[in-house]
Amino acid sequence: MGNTPFIVCRCEEVTLEQIIEVIERYHCSSRETKLRTRAGMGICGGRTCRPLIDRLTGQMDAEKAAYSLPLKVQPPVRPISFGEWGRGS
Amino acid sequence: MIDRLDLIVIGAGPAGLSAAIASARCGLRVLVLDEFPRPGGRLLGQLHQEPDGFWWNGIKEAQQLVRQASENSVDIRTGVSVTALEQIGQTGWKIWTNRGPFSAKHVLIATGAAESACPLPGWTLPGVMSIGAAQVMTNVQRVRVGNRGVVVGMNVLSMAIVSELRLAGIELAAIVLPPKNPLNVRASDPGDVLRSLLRFAHLAPNALFRFGASFLGNSLMQRMALKLYPRRGIRMWNTPLQLRRSAVEIVGGSCVEGVRIADIDSEGVPIPGTERLIEADFVCIAGGLYPLAELAAVAGCPFRYAPELGGHVPAHDESMRTPLQGLYVAGNITGVESAKVAIAQGQVAGLSIAIDSGVPDSPTETELQTAMHRVKQMRRDALIQFDPDITACRNRMYGTNDAIG
Repeated sequence: MGNTPFIVCRCEEVTLEQIIEVIERYHCSSRETKLRTRAGMGICGGRTCRPLIDRLTGQMDAEKAAYSLPLKVQPPVRPISFGEWGRGS
Repeated sequence: MIDRLDLIVIGAGPAGLSAAIASARCGLRVLVLDEFPRPGGRLLGQLHQEPDGFWWNGIKEAQQLVRQASENSVDIRTGVSVTALEQIGQTGWKIWTNRGPFSAKHVLIATGAAESACPLPGWTLPGVMSIGAAQVMTNVQRVRVGNRGVVVGMNVLSMAIVSELRLAGIELAAIVLPPKNPLNVRASDPGDVLRSLLRFAHLAPNALFRFGASFLGNSLMQRMALKLYPRRGIRMWNTPLQLRRSAVEIVGGSCVEGVRIADIDSEGVPIPGTERLIEADFVCIAGGLYPLAELAAVAGCPFRYAPELGGHVPAHDESMRTPLQGLYVAGNITGVESAKVAIAQGQVAGLSIAIDSGVPDSPTETELQTAMHRVKQMRRDALIQFDPDITACRNRMYGTNDAIG
């Protein structure tokens, strides 16, 4: 029990074990964890796994959480085709 | 393209619609955008009976707000996803969407909340959904989600939706806790969960109420409550609420076939040899809600972290103004609370925006104070406090106090 691997970031198919291993090896922040594992970098923009990554890196602790989101949010915040995206500029 | 908009509201839920109505009544030209095909936001899924016997039907509440908005010439466009926004000098804001760009002097972000996941082995199988998805399928799209389900996760939201699924005649085999893992620390702790359930035992069917009432208010008694809680669960809406069992794994080949569960100790750790399989063809994951604030982040708004409010919320004051000129927030993006609080917050935001626009019919400061007062009243009278410390947290954030005249 508890050893069955399972996915945390569905878009990029990153497992809990992979994320924990990276955090333990590099003692890293949410941002570094994202860059090393690609968790949170998929098509949904991290809407599902962003809070989970913050939970694992401890960045949801009250003192550390401070005044900005641990992981930067990049536009577009919803999946959109290049054609539609280009139309806006 | 629409010329000379005063306000774009992002999100046609209770907060966004009521803000649109309040500001349009003061003479503002308002556009409301929402990505769902129907306006109403989370109201659309809500159906429950209040203690005085009144049935709160969210679909009717939404229709009423939409009608009032239309009567005040508010333009509501659905199926529009906002992808980004940017402040353009002192002149206002530009909004990008999947239907082209829009511009306005003021923007209200009322995007509500998103569901938190509580991942466990097998949660990516077809047939696993968030409990909010099951609610929308049942109450809005009128689609039967499955024949026999298991709910993983116990909180205010999941209990409310379980009662709705039961009203729709959907069989639920059990409600169990998520497995203890680094992602589900508090949601898998039976003591923590019991304490939070006891806070709204007054809303629950008799069995839990009778059980809960005798343990309220005393922490020693609450610790005992867990030991006395029946292993097979207490039946609510004819569904066993199994506080002393957790899901271990969702099993199935190409889709959900069942959930492996185990008895747990008082720390949430499975007891060896107690595993069994519950057959099911769908699973609802209920991890609670967090404020959906992506657009405020893209806009460059600073944030505050408040676990009582569900996580990171855009910095804002009691008048719903953010530190950025022309940018406002209302509803669950400012913290997870009931729809009635969101409606009252929307009215505050609408009045603030009208005041800042300097329209001839501008509301007075007294009207704004009255509206802010109503938010506090709604919060105090709310049937469900998503967190016991919401009021204290709001007071810290706004520099206000409890006084409700």
